[in-house]
Amino acid sequence: MKIRIKNKITFSEADKLIERYYDGLTSADEEKQLRSFLSQSTLPERYKPEQAIFGYFDGKKKKVQFSLRPTIRWASVAAVILASVFIAKLYLTEKQSDYAFIDGKKITNMSEIKSQALASLSDISAKNNEVEDGLKNVNNDELIKKQLDVFSGF
Amino acid sequence: MKSIKQYLILPLMVLFGISPAIKAQSDLQISKVFDLYGEKKGVVMVELTDEMLDGYDFSLFKSLTILNNPSAADFIRKCLSKDEVGAKKVKQVVANGIPTSIYLQLARKGELYRLILFNETLRPEHKITLIYIESKNDSEDVLKLILKKK
Repeated sequence: MKIRIKNKITFSEADKLIERYYDGLTSADEEKQLRSFLSQSTLPERYKPEQAIFGYFDGKKKKVQFSLRPTIRWASVAAVILASVFIAKLYLTEKQSDYAFIDGKKITNMSEIKSQALASLSDISAKNNEVEDGLKNVNNDELIKKQLDVFSGF
Repeated sequence: MKSIKQYLILPLMVLFGISPAIKAQSDLQISKVFDLYGEKKGVVMVELTDEMLDGYDFSLFKSLTILNNPSAADFIRKCLSKDEVGAKKVKQVVANGIPTSIYLQLARKGELYRLILFNETLRPEHKITLIYIESKNDSEDVLKLILKKK
């Protein structure tokens, strides 16, 4: 009595296919048929090894999907680190900016720097005598005008 | 996707937060003066940050003293003519049609008040003084303090 199974392969046909499979003689269609036969859950115990084999290969055949997420995560971590280094460097640079240049020569002695700074400030405050300078200029202008008037009579 | 955004937002926020505070005077034309003349012969350039200087509380103090260089004075005046746009001219002294003292109160940069002080004298020698100040104190108070101290 032939046992009809849903894939229309009998047990004897399946056995033959399994034997051909082990000999490496099965075609793609035959392997497909065999896989389909072995995917049934109601098969006898003697088919368990073959079911395991085909199940293993099926697992292996799962497509490995490339995930971009880890790459982006690592890129973000690298960006954070770079930004931190940049900020630290900037902060240190800013903090070390107390200096003076005198005739092109860099001075880092703080007391010298401060005395030069105060000297420049005293130029601004000490020279706040624009009235006096303005008057001097007016006097000079008047003197020149008087001298020129001497020649205007000719 | 949410976690990726979290990773990227932090460095971006820090960078954008820090960048305006970096060199608040770099938007001014007078920064060119410091760059051009700062390390030349006959020039004294000073830069101090967050220093208590003889009672003055400056966040940034930059000064330039140039001797015997009339062309530098012309260049500084040109720079100041651009920087004074939007600024308050606290004082100007003109001699023979040429500004020899200019004090500018610039627009605030964040919390900082900013001042530019320019002075040119011809006697006893040709001397140019250019000062840029940033302070958390009101610039009028700073100016009064500077002019008061002699």
